[in-house]
Amino acid sequence: MPRRSASPSLLRPPPAAPGALRPRRPFRDNPLQVLLGIFALVAALAGVMVLLNRSSELAPDFLSEFVLYSLSVVDLTMLVGLVFVLARSVIKMLVERKRALPFARFRAKLVLVLLGMTLIPAVLVLLVGSQLIFNSVNRWFNAPMDEMLESAQRIASDYYHERQRQVADETARLARSLAAADLASADLRVVRDAVAGSVTDQRLTLVEVYRLAPDADGAPQPVPVVDVASAAAGPVKAPDTSERLAARAASGQPDAWIREPLESGGELIRAAALIRKADGTATGVVVGSVHLTGEMAARARRMTKAYESYTQLRVLKRPLTGVYLSFFLMVTLMILVSASWMGLYLAKRITRPVQLLAAAAREIGAGHFEHRVERETVDEFGSLVDAFNTMADELATSRRALEQSSVDLQRKHAEVEDRRRFTEAVLDRVATGVITIDAGGRIGILNPAAAKLLALDAGAVGKPADEVFAAGDLKPLAELATAPYVAGRDWPAQEISLNRDGREVQLALAATPLHGEGRQREGRVLVLDDVTPLIRAQRVAAWREVARRLAHEIKNPLTPIQLCAQRLQRQFAASPEPVRALVDECTGTIVGEVEALKTLVDEFSQFARMPSPRRVPTDVHQLLTGTLGLYEGLFAHVRIETLFAVSLPPVRLDPDQIRRVLINLIDNAIEALNQRGLLVVETQHDAAAGVARIIVADDGPGIAPEERDKLFMPYYSTKKRGSGLGLAIVRRIVAEHGGTVEVGANEPRGTRFVIELPCGDADLPAGTETA
Amino acid sequence: MPIRLLALVLGVFVVEADGARSVEVGAVARNGRVYVSSTASDGLMEDLDEAIQAGLAASITYDAELRRPVSVWFDRTVASAAVATTVQYDTLTRRYQLSRSVDGRLDDSKVSEDKGEVKRFALGFERLPLFSTADLEPNTEYYVRIRVRTRPRVTLFFWPWGRDAASGYARFTFIP
Repeated sequence: MPRRSASPSLLRPPPAAPGALRPRRPFRDNPLQVLLGIFALVAALAGVMVLLNRSSELAPDFLSEFVLYSLSVVDLTMLVGLVFVLARSVIKMLVERKRALPFARFRAKLVLVLLGMTLIPAVLVLLVGSQLIFNSVNRWFNAPMDEMLESAQRIASDYYHERQRQVADETARLARSLAAADLASADLRVVRDAVAGSVTDQRLTLVEVYRLAPDADGAPQPVPVVDVASAAAGPVKAPDTSERLAARAASGQPDAWIREPLESGGELIRAAALIRKADGTATGVVVGSVHLTGEMAARARRMTKAYESYTQLRVLKRPLTGVYLSFFLMVTLMILVSASWMGLYLAKRITRPVQLLAAAAREIGAGHFEHRVERETVDEFGSLVDAFNTMADELATSRRALEQSSVDLQRKHAEVEDRRRFTEAVLDRVATGVITIDAGGRIGILNPAAAKLLALDAGAVGKPADEVFAAGDLKPLAELATAPYVAGRDWPAQEISLNRDGREVQLALAATPLHGEGRQREGRVLVLDDVTPLIRAQRVAAWREVARRLAHEIKNPLTPIQLCAQRLQRQFAASPEPVRALVDECTGTIVGEVEALKTLVDEFSQFARMPSPRRVPTDVHQLLTGTLGLYEGLFAHVRIETLFAVSLPPVRLDPDQIRRVLINLIDNAIEALNQRGLLVVETQHDAAAGVARIIVADDGPGIAPEERDKLFMPYYSTKKRGSGLGLAIVRRIVAEHGGTVEVGANEPRGTRFVIELPCGDADLPAGTETA
Repeated sequence: MPIRLLALVLGVFVVEADGARSVEVGAVARNGRVYVSSTASDGLMEDLDEAIQAGLAASITYDAELRRPVSVWFDRTVASAAVATTVQYDTLTRRYQLSRSVDGRLDDSKVSEDKGEVKRFALGFERLPLFSTADLEPNTEYYVRIRVRTRPRVTLFFWPWGRDAASGYARFTFIP
């Protein structure tokens, strides 16, 4: 279930700083606002419809003036608003597209489609509707209607004119007939009789006679004297208008006639005429009236009204058409504005959540896992936003866990790296050879000791073990590298013998399987140990024991033998010459051989009881120089050369024993040279290895490679004379100094002995001795 | 159809461009008043004739302004007055009801059947004392501008607003 909200700080914008611009209110669904907008639109449309429905009841000039102005203002306002909204939307879309905002193109298309779906039909309806209005208005006015209404109006007007003329003529006639009458007389029967005939004959409905009397200013004022009315006409008297009409006539105004509507219905057509005497003096006024019945007057008035309305409509055809067009345009604009607003609203409603999600996705992608999207709607987009925020939460949690794991991993990696460096250092420094072989049979690790022991280089790493170990004496390693696993135990250790540069190297070989965490086999480890010195030491120890026993067992009987031989020699001293000579020869031989055996036994004793070296810091060059000095002048055909190292630190050694070693080697060389040749004594200092080398080389016949290692075995000698202990003693002395002595071929010919002595502790105080 | 509608709409902007409508203005300052006379051209009446004959109450309003010319700026309006004449034709009795008011006060009214008299009455006035000379500077040139508005206005469709029907002015130098 998606979470409804993120942290409050993410949902609410931060408070604006004083003076800062207020952040724009986020877009939200506002149903009340939407409903109000729809209600306003419907109300406006209803108002327009009501006004339009009542427009026929309004005066044409009111429509063409007030209504048209109002509609035009409203239309213009809405048009400006619509243009503003559209222009604003277009500019916003262009800006968004220029900024390459996400979904700008989609939003632009959506808005354009929505607007197009509204604008095109609306404009088409406007055009068609406008044409219909034009046609309808034009259809109002046609020739038969013009003629009919004009004729009717003319009939009514002519009737009025005729009656007005009749009234005027009759009134004038009466005025002439009363020219001689005395209007100021008390007896007015003459006057009444004179006018009564017109009423009786229905030429007039009402006759009123006024006498003119001067007022205070001398102006003539009408004074009523007689009035005769038709009995059938009913209450038609209207003295006020009659007196005003009489006054107008008295003042000399022409066309003194009026039309007076009556409250009881109908109208009076009234005319006034001056009563003049023969000399032209005005003495009175006759006001004649004809009563038009209500029905007649109304009918005439309706005809006139219809005509006026029609002609007024015709006169105001264009503005009235404008009114209806404005109505239509206003409705169209209302629809357009509403549709545009709705289109923009829908486009925003659709695209904004997607835009927010896209922006949030970019933020998340940039590593801002705390970014959240504010939920603005409660629809499917809102659910999508919730799902996104949930995903972001989970991502943030996963990121934190990942970061923690990364930290742990880094720590473990550092530990492993430390261990690896430690292991590498150990493997690099250890004298034991270590080889790892992975499950695929390829060499993983080949430490320097193993490489040296097996005479391999680093290129062997990564190669199949059986291929690397296929050559010559390495086959036992290949067999061990490919030997099948035996559950629960390691492979048995082996001892193999390798030939390196003509000398035999004894290696102890062990193999053990490598197991992973799940006890699955991941390969094996081969461990090599150079046990040559150990074997040599064991052999020397054995020989020493043999020598000690031999010396003990042989030396004891030698003295009695020698004494017996000497006694025999003395006993046979007086014997005849042949016997004495034989005895002397035999006893002399016995004594000589016994002496030789004693010497041999002494050497054995020395070999067996060789003391431990007493090492002191010694100048090797000085030691060599002194030793070589012993040979000066002894061998005329042996050339001794020295190649001393430029700087050789003092070496802790037993000078007597080393001198013995040197003498032994030099003697062997001179003997090998058959006292003719070149002897080179050389020193080297290998500071990296911490050793000092003393090399004794000759250009003699050399030693066969297969015999080189045997040279150091006791009782092995290539000379006709010798005990075979010299080089054994040399190796023992050197070994007890912690060094090695090796024999090899000299270039271009001869033999080369190399003594390596450690010189790493030369900084000990001079004179110190170690045993 | 659309072309016709477009032409009608555009026609709003060129309507009333007829130059046959004009007004002659006369002004004279005397006895503390500025007397103004005005006579509009017959074309103005012809525009209204159809509406008058249809029984519509037609009015011609003369908006008179006494102005003082100002160089390099808008002229200053010293005083203004409105003279309105109305004509109402009764198609039944074939008589015209005429009236004239100055600044809303009835100045004259009459009934007439004579179309010539109606035209004379509606198209001008003679020597009406519209302004006082109290605020005028002696020996200064002024002018009286009259703009004529008519009603009903025969306008087009969507654009009810239009120019003045006619306008004219008369200069005079105020000499006390």
